[in-house]
Amino acid sequence: MTAKFSRRTFFKTSGLVSAGIAATSMLPDKFLLWAEEKGMLQASQIPTYCEICFWKCGALAKVINGKVVKLEGNPAHPGSRGKLCGRGNGGTGLLYDPNRLKTPLINTGTRGEGKYKKASWDEALNFTAERMTKIAKKYGPESMAIFTPTDHFLPLISAFGSPNVGMPSFAQCRGPRDVGLELTFGDSIGSPERLDMLNSKVVVLLGSHLGENMHNSQVQDFVESIGRGAKYIVVDPRFSIAAGKAVKWLPIRPATDMALILAWIHIIISEELYDKEYISRYATGLDELRTAVRDYTPEWAAKETDLKAADIIETAHMLGRRAPAVCIHPGRHATWYGDDVQRTRALGILMALLGSWGREGGAFFATKASFPKVASKPYPEPSRPALNLGGYPFAGGEGVTQAIRTATITGKPYPIKGWFVSGTNLLKALPNQKETMEAIKQLDLLVAVDVMPFDTVMMADVILPECSYLERHDALAVGKGKSLTVSLRQPVIEPMYESKPAWWIAKELSKRLGLASYFPWNTYEDKIKSQCSLWGINYDELKKVGTITIPDSSNPYITPLNQPEFKTASGKIELYSHELKEKGFDPIPVYTSHEKPEPDEFRLIYGRHAVHTFSRTTNNPELHELYPENEVWINATKAHSLGIKNGSYVTLINQDDVKISHIKVKATERIREDCVYMVHGFGTTSKELKKAFAKGGDDQGLVTKYAVDPICGGTGMRVNFVRIGKETINA
Amino acid sequence: MRKYAMVIDQRRCVACMACVVACKKENDVPPGQFRTRVIEKVEGVFPEVRMELRSELCNHCENPPCVYNCPTGASYKRKEDGLILLKKYRCVGCKSCLAACPYDARYINEKKGFADKCTLCEHRIKEGKEPACVATCVGKSRIFGDLDDPKSPVSIALKENHSEVLLAGAGTKPRVHYIKIFSKPE
Amino acid sequence: MEITITGINAATFPHLHVWDWRVAMYLFLGGLSAGLAVMSSILNVRQGGALTVNERAASTAQILVPVILSIGMIFIFLDLERKLNVFWFYLTFQPLSPMSWGSWGLLVFYPVSILFAIAAVPAANRHRLLFRQLIELAEWLQKYRLHLAAANFAMGIFIGVYTGVLLSSFVARPLWNSAILPILFLCSALSAGAAMMIMISSQKKVKLFFTKIDIWLIISEMLLLPLFFYGQYTSSYAHRESIMPFFLFNHEYFWYGLAILFLLVILPCALVIKLLEIKEEHGETLPPDALLKMKLSAIIVLMGGIIVRFSFIYAGQLSHL
Repeated sequence: MTAKFSRRTFFKTSGLVSAGIAATSMLPDKFLLWAEEKGMLQASQIPTYCEICFWKCGALAKVINGKVVKLEGNPAHPGSRGKLCGRGNGGTGLLYDPNRLKTPLINTGTRGEGKYKKASWDEALNFTAERMTKIAKKYGPESMAIFTPTDHFLPLISAFGSPNVGMPSFAQCRGPRDVGLELTFGDSIGSPERLDMLNSKVVVLLGSHLGENMHNSQVQDFVESIGRGAKYIVVDPRFSIAAGKAVKWLPIRPATDMALILAWIHIIISEELYDKEYISRYATGLDELRTAVRDYTPEWAAKETDLKAADIIETAHMLGRRAPAVCIHPGRHATWYGDDVQRTRALGILMALLGSWGREGGAFFATKASFPKVASKPYPEPSRPALNLGGYPFAGGEGVTQAIRTATITGKPYPIKGWFVSGTNLLKALPNQKETMEAIKQLDLLVAVDVMPFDTVMMADVILPECSYLERHDALAVGKGKSLTVSLRQPVIEPMYESKPAWWIAKELSKRLGLASYFPWNTYEDKIKSQCSLWGINYDELKKVGTITIPDSSNPYITPLNQPEFKTASGKIELYSHELKEKGFDPIPVYTSHEKPEPDEFRLIYGRHAVHTFSRTTNNPELHELYPENEVWINATKAHSLGIKNGSYVTLINQDDVKISHIKVKATERIREDCVYMVHGFGTTSKELKKAFAKGGDDQGLVTKYAVDPICGGTGMRVNFVRIGKETINA
Repeated sequence: MRKYAMVIDQRRCVACMACVVACKKENDVPPGQFRTRVIEKVEGVFPEVRMELRSELCNHCENPPCVYNCPTGASYKRKEDGLILLKKYRCVGCKSCLAACPYDARYINEKKGFADKCTLCEHRIKEGKEPACVATCVGKSRIFGDLDDPKSPVSIALKENHSEVLLAGAGTKPRVHYIKIFSKPE
Repeated sequence: MEITITGINAATFPHLHVWDWRVAMYLFLGGLSAGLAVMSSILNVRQGGALTVNERAASTAQILVPVILSIGMIFIFLDLERKLNVFWFYLTFQPLSPMSWGSWGLLVFYPVSILFAIAAVPAANRHRLLFRQLIELAEWLQKYRLHLAAANFAMGIFIGVYTGVLLSSFVARPLWNSAILPILFLCSALSAGAAMMIMISSQKKVKLFFTKIDIWLIISEMLLLPLFFYGQYTSSYAHRESIMPFFLFNHEYFWYGLAILFLLVILPCALVIKLLEIKEEHGETLPPDALLKMKLSAIIVLMGGIIVRFSFIYAGQLSHL
């Protein structure tokens, strides 16, 4: 039978086909999944790496008809090994969050009022460039500061001529840890931490709540090591998930961890449990150390730490007997009490005594392989010295964020008049929100580049909406764990609404600032392609698999042929740090006793929840429904004696009479009586975050006092004490 | 003939909730509803505290009360592998299966009205993949396989470890086994 | 002990709540129509139909059966989440599902009760059927009156008992999981039917006759309820816990406490009133205060039926293994 193909038929069929395509794009996920099952629609699996936290797990995005229906782990990536945590799985919640920033916005009211008008990209970019240029003219380009300098905006600001970069991850998080280990071993532990837990016999978690701290591959190692029989010693005032898996939980009095570590060192040296050969070969300063820890007996430590001397001795023996396959986790967020570099120094010394640095089951060496440096146009020399190091002798290249803030407030040594804020929620990251607000008042320009309207974003003069990680290219992620790896982030769908990738924003701004020559490529993918060819990576292969591991690039342990190089002044592990001595600090950690809470006062400590990355995810619908508000953990007996009921709502008042209200109480046996614990990142003030707004308590609001570590500028934030005020029932 | 089962090694669970989210994404479960959950139980008095972490899901019982009670035959047991599945087109929404299940495994899908629950991702099993929760379990706490295959992960896990089932006295003969030890510091 | 659960469904946490007043109303109305059917069969058959002479209830009672049942069915239909799929009940039979048995039973109950209703209309009132076909049908059915009465009686028993069987089959709901529950429901249904019959019948001797029946039924219920609670109490821990809402008499379980007070205190009062009624010497017709007492005791019985259904549906969903 022949059919006449008329124009009518053509229009009918094409009309139907296009209607069909349009219809399928509006179909619900369930139908798409069913249709894919039946072979009607094809799903594509596009590899990328996640950005819900900073672990950068390789992920595979399942896309059906332009809709991301699922995210799964990329088996090729060492950070995820084919699995994603709850947050990684919930990445689609960020992508499809209805409260996302959709268009550029320019503030029409006062700062913080939230009266924004929608603007075109041209308008917003011109506004930004004009203001930046004005600042450069009036105050100099160094007056522009950037938090957090990413692979896209750091070149922009550097080209602009400012050296003032600040990453809260240094002074508000890892800084003291990295500095302490660098002073000891000449190298830090890295991120992801180069801990060989899989092969450990004993692991010490001091300042790590691994498990609730959901760092994918590290948690996988944690669990697997337990499966292999590793014994865990967890030092934590709170019975964390990790403590639940430990053979020894030491519920230490907060702020006394140094005493415990020094006592361990004392026992290990006095009972000669340390690795003699390793120390004589690779370390200096043993005699000084022995003298310095002479008085740090377990009995003394027991009094300071409120632990049993027998437990301190037993755990020291566990460490000594199982050395060198002992992993001392140096923690991650180390900014606690202001003497945090010294505490990490103590941990480093302990690691060295056990001979675990560079040994199986301890800390392994990074791969020696590397990629050739990518040549780029040299940046102009800033005319004034950077002020972002705050004068701290061992501040890292990531800058000391609050030093920039102070300069913004005081105008000394020179004024900072512009803040470029990208991908960080400063109001929740920096201590003492009052100071941050004061600083913001002084600014001529506050630019925010972000995906969601977080607290700090809602303070900006101009908001540039970045698309989520699922919609953009970003820099190739180089992994330097045991092996050298390179991972690709590529868009799995086109950017939604009018959001744009950061590289595009940076490039467009560069055009308007006369800095286009620093962004010579057309699209960022071009840059990635040229980088791959320089590094000998097959780009098409990388696009398909997401992560490529360079074979034969690992050499993790000390062997006769692989001798360690310690980049310290002496070239050896410095048990006694000459560098610190020179700068006037204690060359070997000395214990200082910290303030204790008054009766009915509690030290405020904080941490993470497995399904949240602080304020980044509190609005994510898929994660919000699992944990919509944080709680304040109070010891059950103490709560009972104060007449506070579990599940009731209370107000917390700190030593500076700053209050936060309407926080749910978790009366639990899992915490000491002298401290209270909250999950950080809740209590957002941004009304645009419809799900998260006013849910839970902003613990950072209570962090008004902070103890600055004089060695590196880290802000110890666990130095605030709170009282509890009951609220009326219907609060 | 296959005999699909799941073994949950509670010693390896860290309550990361990856399974809860992955399951929702894989099966398009409506907001506020869940096919699997994680229970965190703490006993004792400070500082002698101990914790149990347990994830629960449909047990795909060998003696399923939800199948017996279904008036339209919508809830049924698949002969070739023992999975308890739902023929959605036959479901009337009478909720007998919700009332019959001792494990609170079922829920009424808010969008469509039928009584839904975990299917052990049978659409993934068909392709040789593991259920979504098993695939994403960061601690490798969830173990899945065919009990009729002595080399499968579940058979090995059950052979080497003591395991229990939930509500054994209910007579449902569940196919989810728990290697459960209350972890407790010394 | 501290418990935190992530991933709970509102339908099953903190306890099951999927069935509400709609199901409870159906249970009551279904039971009532079943009991009424049984009573109307008795009315029509006893002493060769002597009781039906000049008796208003002879025609009205049986007509009420499908009407009350239909109202009940509307309620249970409203409870279905996928109402358009309701026909699936009748495209299959699941022998292990009491609900499947019940839905088919209801399907059979309708024609039986309607046919019997047509047949039960006394000859004098047959013209009220209006349609010629119906009147002819009524005449034709007369020779099958006894058969229909028996079938009606049997279906009434079935409908009165199957809901109890359905609830008792859930091992997951210990409060219902008792062999006494079906008997209790049947007894309550028959008692409600008898009470209804007392209210709608016109003659004194019919009223007194069903009062006597109701007395036996209430006595049975007075035995079954304590036996039920005793059986639960002496069974497993879950069973013992399941009856606690009734006996804690606290703020949280206020309504259940009230329910048990009604059932174990007020209901026996109905019994007492009825006993007094039959003891008394009455004239040809009942004096108004006697009529009032009869109505009152009947209403108490009906309320008892409602309370049993409601409290059991809600308390049963509180219970778990």
